[in-house]
Amino acid sequence: MKKRGHIWAWVIFAIGIVYFFLPLLATFLFSLKARLGVLSFQAYENVLRDPAFVRSFSYSVLWATLTIIFGILLFVPTAYWVRLRVPQARTAVEFITLLPFVVPAIVYVFGLVRTYSHPPLLIVNSPFLLVAAYTVLSMPYMYRAIDTGLRAIDVRTLTEAAQSLGANWPTILFRIILPNIRVAILNGAFLSFAIVIGEYILAQYLAKPAFGPYMAVQGQNKAYEPAALAIISFGLTWASMGIIDAFGRGRGQGATIAGGH
Amino acid sequence: MTHLALTDISKVYAGTTVVQDFNLEVNKGEFVSFLGPSGCGKTTTLRMIAGFEIPTTGRVMLDDADITDKAPNQRNVGMVFQAYALFPNMTVAQNIGFGMQIHKESKEAIKQRVEEMLALIHLETKGNSFPSQLSGGQQQRVALARALANRPQVLLLDEPLSALDAKIRVSLRQEIRSIQKKLGITAIYVTHDQEEALSISDRIVVMSGGKMEQVGTPFQIYNFPETAFVANFVGTLNTVKAEVVDPAKKLLRMDGVQLEAAEGLDGKGKGDEVTLAIRPERITFASVEEKANIFDCTIENITFLGSIVRIQVLAGSNKFFLDTFNNPFLELPKIGAKEQISCSKEAVLILK
Repeated sequence: MKKRGHIWAWVIFAIGIVYFFLPLLATFLFSLKARLGVLSFQAYENVLRDPAFVRSFSYSVLWATLTIIFGILLFVPTAYWVRLRVPQARTAVEFITLLPFVVPAIVYVFGLVRTYSHPPLLIVNSPFLLVAAYTVLSMPYMYRAIDTGLRAIDVRTLTEAAQSLGANWPTILFRIILPNIRVAILNGAFLSFAIVIGEYILAQYLAKPAFGPYMAVQGQNKAYEPAALAIISFGLTWASMGIIDAFGRGRGQGATIAGGH
Repeated sequence: MTHLALTDISKVYAGTTVVQDFNLEVNKGEFVSFLGPSGCGKTTTLRMIAGFEIPTTGRVMLDDADITDKAPNQRNVGMVFQAYALFPNMTVAQNIGFGMQIHKESKEAIKQRVEEMLALIHLETKGNSFPSQLSGGQQQRVALARALANRPQVLLLDEPLSALDAKIRVSLRQEIRSIQKKLGITAIYVTHDQEEALSISDRIVVMSGGKMEQVGTPFQIYNFPETAFVANFVGTLNTVKAEVVDPAKKLLRMDGVQLEAAEGLDGKGKGDEVTLAIRPERITFASVEEKANIFDCTIENITFLGSIVRIQVLAGSNKFFLDTFNNPFLELPKIGAKEQISCSKEAVLILK
């Protein structure tokens, strides 16, 4: 009986592997067929040599990084304060953090354009509007990852212990709370990164030269390069996961492994 | 000399009074325990001393300075928590030195003090360990060292041993007491464990329903409980109703049997009903010579408790426990046997 269950586990695992990796393998093989009759990395070469790729990718990396920093500065104190002082507001805050899942991005971007394209708030051309918009878009991932990290530590007691030793709020936040939810923050950060790096609608409608619109253009005009871009994108995601894992295992004594998704 | 004074302290949460009329003066170097069941207000009172709660009324004075409205980080008060509350991202040494770092003491001073503290808690080799690498008992010792490293004016301990197993609890409470005595620090200890409170305190404040029931030395609290609550909460006690027969001669009647008390009937009149209490260890099987405070009884149950054997008897309509020390040659009565028990008049306590 036990052996049969064991076999079924492997069968399901194998189906899972095929389901997830077969399309990836097919995409990868397709991306190698840019040259007629031979397998080559020509499509990758074309992508990486394209100045627009480097430009749009760097642009998105920069704004993704700023989004992450802004998100951490906004959500860590908020989640901490909600957990410590206003736990009764948690349900309401969680609902707010889920709104980006409910409001379609296209509705959201038109709202932004309408609100910020005329005085007194004429900031529709500012890249900071994009950061603010991305922060909202990544809110469900970032906030929930941080909140999960906070749930894994005894926030109240650690705060009170630090207070009784003379620590003020910034010290508590930066020296006690942040280091203990480091992995949770990293989880949220990399999820935000993954969201922002390939985001299309906000960048397109706010007319920003980001990586998402670049990929869309490539998809419309070329055959093999979009497949190569998809593989590069997977590679970046896996690299991000690897970094999370390395951080989690590394200076691990204080790390809180918390899944935010 | 009064070191810490709590005057007319009360705390009300959303219309519910959790602490009321709390008045206490604690001397320097004294070890005072707040003892009571869950929800009696002991932790809330401790948290008001720490500054985590602000009293609704009353003042908290420390060394003649009013600290009632001061933030927790502005008071020089050390606190040890039930859940240890060590910072997981810091080593043992960093945890102990954290408070001194906050107070911007020199690196050399911090290093020296951390070494002193590690020696005090006998964890000299664990300075570079992380809290997760220590046992519960070791973590709590580190938490104690961390709270003491800052040289606080008062050390507050909120049920620090509750999360530990029985043997560690006993050894650690002795260690806490010896460290407290060695440093001469004033300590307030919150516990619901009467044995813990009795064994380490200079004085105990027994609390119930947000009020102080009795304040006294462990000896006073155990031997002379003033209220029915204290009598029942601290140790095992037989409490029964009795009628005053002659207040001058301190005579009572219980189930038709006359009893004599040594004191506690002042202000009582003939016919008044009182609650009397007798500790199980003060009741013995009656010997031939004894003439007073003798009851006929039937043996109902015998429970072996290790060093003590507890015998339950039925005397009239009242059940009594009596304790006797165990020894391998002890001859115990049979269940259902008719016996006589007695106690001295000093053993009869009249409760308020």
